[in-house]
Amino acid sequence: MTNKLKGLMAGTLQLIAICLLLWLCNQAVLWFGLPIPGSVIGLAILLVLLFGGVIPEKAVKAGAAWLIGELVLFFLPPIVSLIKYQVFIFEDGFSIIATIVVGTLMVLAGTAWVVDRIYRYERRLNQKRLIKGTTNV
Amino acid sequence: MSDTLLAIFSFAATIAFYYLSKAAYKRKKVLWLAPTVAAPFAMITLVIVADIPLDSYFQYTHFLVMMLGPATIAFALPIYQQRAIIARYPLTLTLGVITGLILGLMSSWVLVRLFPMPDEVASSMLARSVSTPFAMQATVKFGGIPDLTAMLVVMTGIFGMLAGEPLFKAIGVRSSHAKGSALGAASHGSGTAKAFEIGHEEGVIASLTMIFTGIAMVLGAPVFSYIL
Repeated sequence: MTNKLKGLMAGTLQLIAICLLLWLCNQAVLWFGLPIPGSVIGLAILLVLLFGGVIPEKAVKAGAAWLIGELVLFFLPPIVSLIKYQVFIFEDGFSIIATIVVGTLMVLAGTAWVVDRIYRYERRLNQKRLIKGTTNV
Repeated sequence: MSDTLLAIFSFAATIAFYYLSKAAYKRKKVLWLAPTVAAPFAMITLVIVADIPLDSYFQYTHFLVMMLGPATIAFALPIYQQRAIIARYPLTLTLGVITGLILGLMSSWVLVRLFPMPDEVASSMLARSVSTPFAMQATVKFGGIPDLTAMLVVMTGIFGMLAGEPLFKAIGVRSSHAKGSALGAASHGSGTAKAFEIGHEEGVIASLTMIFTGIAMVLGAPVFSYIL
């Protein structure tokens, strides 16, 4: 129980720290008039901190995992605001659905086709590297 | 009920519907119980039936939306955790992201011209293939409406999740990387969840592709909006 409580507190603190990082990044965006949103700058900074070994993975793990796990909750309100756009949805429903269906099929098929080929090539490349590596030893 | 009470009620109901549908979907994997389907449906029904003014609805629930920013930062964690896969397949991942991003933008750009719809909807369509927090940022650059974009993103996710496997079978795609990349690039979060159902490797690839496509969309949006 105490462990669970500790975990919860650690997660909350990490959450606050991540929010603080976002706030700082948003301030920087305002001051310097940066064209990139603060959240993406924050993502880059956190990556640098993790890869640079400045902070260990466990220092953000609980908070970050929670944020990603509950992502859907955070965008429920914008979907509800759709009530405002009822007109579009009823009048242009067919066009909207057709665009999404055809567009998504194109992205799925095109990406899968390209990656299928590149992946086989890169896998061969990795195997060659591996063989080279072992024979050199 | 006073407006403040309505606002508190809306906030509580949003959270309750979300966790209920999440728990239900965990037990029974049917589409209509998914948090992206059941929760918004229940909430919209409630707002309409109880006649809750949208201003009251958003008074507190907008704090939930504010968490999309920190959630974007949190995506650093899976990138860091999956660094071994990134180092092993940099080319596959990069080309998957680029292909997905270009196809997402181009297909929307062409299709909104084939199927007539109001300008606001057409502009909101461009960023629809990437994850919601990124799409809501990028859409502004295209002249889209963030709320509307969120809805289109969700619809895209649901469709991609359903169409993925049958499509892969039909066109003969078998490698886990191809399935993962396609699901992550075309239908972000829902696609990634589906990819994890197919297999762990598919899921990891999908989540990385989803995150990188989202970042690339936000970073590239000023340029894309200039070109398109």
